[in-house]
Amino acid sequence: MTDTVLNDRMDPATERLAEMGQGNRTEDEVAIQNYTINFGPQHPAAHGVLRLVMELDGEIVERIDPHVGLLHRGTEKLIEYKTYQQAIPYFDRLDYCSPMCMEHTFVLAIEKLLDLEVPLRAQYLRVFFAELTRIKNHMLNLGSHVMDVGAMTPNLWLFELREDCMNFYERASGARMHANYFRVGGVHQDVPLKLLTDIADWLDNRLPVLFEDAISLVADNRIFKQRNVDIGVVSRDDAIRWGFSGPMIRAAGIPWDLRKQQPYDVYAKMDFEVPVGTRGDCYDRFMVRVEEVRQSARIMKQCLAEMPEGPIASLDRKVVPPHRGEMKQSMEALIHHFKLFTEGFHVPAGEVYVATESPKGEFGVYLVSDGSNKPYRCKIRPTAFSHLQAMDFMSRGHMLADTTAILGAMDIVFGECDR
Amino acid sequence: MRAPAPAWAAHLNDATLDAARAAIPQGLIDAFAHVGEIQLHVHRDHLIAALTALRDTPGLEYQQLMDIAGVDYPDRGAERFEVVYCLLSLTRNHRLHVHVTASEDTPVPSVTEMWPVAGWYEREVYDMYGVLFAGNRDLRRILTDYGFRGHPQRKDFPLSGYVEMRYSEEVKRVVYEPVKLAQDFRTFDFTSPWEGAEYVLPGDEKGALPEAKGAPTPLSADQVQKAGVAQSPTQAAGASSEPYAKDQASGTADTGAGKPHPHIGEKPADRDVIPGKGGQNQ
Amino acid sequence: MTMHSGPVELPRDARAISSGTGLVQPDPGFFHDLNGELTDKGFLVTSTEELFQWARTGSLWWMTFGLACCAVEMIHVNMPRYDLERFGAAPRASPRQSDVMIVAGTLCNKMAPALRRVYDQMSEPKYVISMGSCANGGGYYHYSYSVVRGCDRVVPVDIYVPGCPPTAEALLYGIMQLQRKIRRSGSIER
Repeated sequence: MTDTVLNDRMDPATERLAEMGQGNRTEDEVAIQNYTINFGPQHPAAHGVLRLVMELDGEIVERIDPHVGLLHRGTEKLIEYKTYQQAIPYFDRLDYCSPMCMEHTFVLAIEKLLDLEVPLRAQYLRVFFAELTRIKNHMLNLGSHVMDVGAMTPNLWLFELREDCMNFYERASGARMHANYFRVGGVHQDVPLKLLTDIADWLDNRLPVLFEDAISLVADNRIFKQRNVDIGVVSRDDAIRWGFSGPMIRAAGIPWDLRKQQPYDVYAKMDFEVPVGTRGDCYDRFMVRVEEVRQSARIMKQCLAEMPEGPIASLDRKVVPPHRGEMKQSMEALIHHFKLFTEGFHVPAGEVYVATESPKGEFGVYLVSDGSNKPYRCKIRPTAFSHLQAMDFMSRGHMLADTTAILGAMDIVFGECDR
Repeated sequence: MRAPAPAWAAHLNDATLDAARAAIPQGLIDAFAHVGEIQLHVHRDHLIAALTALRDTPGLEYQQLMDIAGVDYPDRGAERFEVVYCLLSLTRNHRLHVHVTASEDTPVPSVTEMWPVAGWYEREVYDMYGVLFAGNRDLRRILTDYGFRGHPQRKDFPLSGYVEMRYSEEVKRVVYEPVKLAQDFRTFDFTSPWEGAEYVLPGDEKGALPEAKGAPTPLSADQVQKAGVAQSPTQAAGASSEPYAKDQASGTADTGAGKPHPHIGEKPADRDVIPGKGGQNQ
Repeated sequence: MTMHSGPVELPRDARAISSGTGLVQPDPGFFHDLNGELTDKGFLVTSTEELFQWARTGSLWWMTFGLACCAVEMIHVNMPRYDLERFGAAPRASPRQSDVMIVAGTLCNKMAPALRRVYDQMSEPKYVISMGSCANGGGYYHYSYSVVRGCDRVVPVDIYVPGCPPTAEALLYGIMQLQRKIRRSGSIER
């Protein structure tokens, strides 16, 4: 089996105990030892490269020690060696299920240090694509969650929607996944009108049909409920103490959504609701995400209705490069272009912690600038760190098979967790 | 503030500063707001008391610890590391960060008793910087490889590290070797010869004014923001709605540049598209 | 070598090898002859070599080694729109039963021993597809202190698929290239 490749034996101390027990064991006294197994790092239900060292009593989980860092790529160190613009693609590759939301946090942090105004259309476009990203992320997570607990079909349908989202990404930015679309001061380029109308059509006709179909297969399904209801219950106090955020804290019953509480870009103008769970179990987390997809679609429709015409990036030429057309007619534009693509822009010294509501929770960037063209320090606050750390107390006393449900409902992606 | 950053209750900053000064019993070195965010610099030995006060005092109520970040300032001498605790108050919708300094062998008290979530964050700071946390019972490395040597986020740790990995057919397992790069990482020095001069020239006093955003400026982000508030609230400095607007007086007739191009009038709707029949850049 | 009658897929790549162009044009006469032989006698005659190659290319069960971003595209290629299984390539979670490993994503130092262990557990003949810039040579993370600069430092690689990440079509094309490679260099003990 793959999941026991590294360490499928009992640890030496347990083995020795077992041998000692052999000698003086009577007939009605059976020595039961805890069994340590190794889940991962290569396991289809591990959602990547997670390694869980589990201590089992029969099939009951006694203790879990998650080992992370198997995808530690040194992103934070690399960012310190790149200019601000060159560092944006690293954010795509952090949480590769929701690339644009990661970029969003970083550009907002830089804009806060620069105190840079962003045109309204750019703000709308960013919110619009951030919500498309949220749908995209939840398609993957909901699908893999139901697959982890044994259902196959919804995943196939949801991935079809995800494929649509990737096509929209491609039409907006040129890349199916790693868009690198957001820029400091706006977005990279304007979207064609046909793309907006196509997305509007998709929101009206395709998304609801496929999505509701897929969810109707599992939401009231008896087996699905048996696998998820009352599994991995987290109380409100625990959720706060363990630093939960996003769907995890909302499922625990705390109506905390950064888009609502601390609105950035044009979220303050958006009319949407924040779903809240009642029991704090895996089923609540699932259903919170399901409702978030509907609310995201609602926000996207509002963006489409309200999005004004205008520039899609700041006109401040010390930060945002000029258009190609301007470059061919203006010497000054050419100089700006050259400076921005070699040296980059300088960010005044300061320290900010900016956090946004990524699909997985609060994704934060603690950015220290020393006034140069490269970040002095860029600490990324992953959503997965606090959630995965709670894995131990959440799955204690549950069956082994429940850990996959708990893990699936956490929505962990290791690019972001390990950085 | 003009940037569309997350809008939490930053108007509470002044009241919070006063309340924090009153609530933190001792060890508060400095407290100020910078770029709209409160920084509390606390002495290491009084960290637990200060954080407890921030969490439990009514009117402060920072229930959640969102992040612990390490920063390395090698030119500060022995106390080169800074550990930053980012706190969030759910009830007051407010954020602040608490800074403590540390050296390589002066442990920072662990806050795992207050917030269990701190366990992994402290492990990460230990892994990346080598800062010790007294009281964290599980201070193992977390992100780097099993048996990794050094603390990679320190400024004196090379970007590509000291060792690299490959599979060895001789010993039938992966082995570490000293790092050998086919091409070195390319870094460029962008300091212009006109900067960094020691002497003062007439006109240098203009450097004290904030320049356009993105240009190198000796000012901090906080000063830029305050200068921005003093200016008009909506229009960014130096950013007109028409960038590179043509000077009124200088047409081609005045400058002697010849007649305008015959196609110059047919401006397409899309400003990125240049009129013309093909060409390799089109 | 005989094969029983029934819904048998024909060894269609026999011509691809003989012609050497790589571009297989369906030859109606060839298929007609084969079909006639099958209905007439009830069996077909072919060489073991060709039969094994046909079986090998037609059931490339791949080991799901999703490491990072590319893993998402690897999942997408299995999903209904691209439907990799029409090429007989199905995901397998166990290395013992898989023929090809798709290394999808950045290989980090901490993960490299596990990758090698999984590769060693696979049964012969085994192939490796390196998917994406990071697996090919470190890519965007080439200069990092914790990344293996190319998964070919750890396992021998047959096909490199470029891209960051490669699109699902690119991976599909990579798998077809692997099938070609198997046909070209096919032997029983590889």
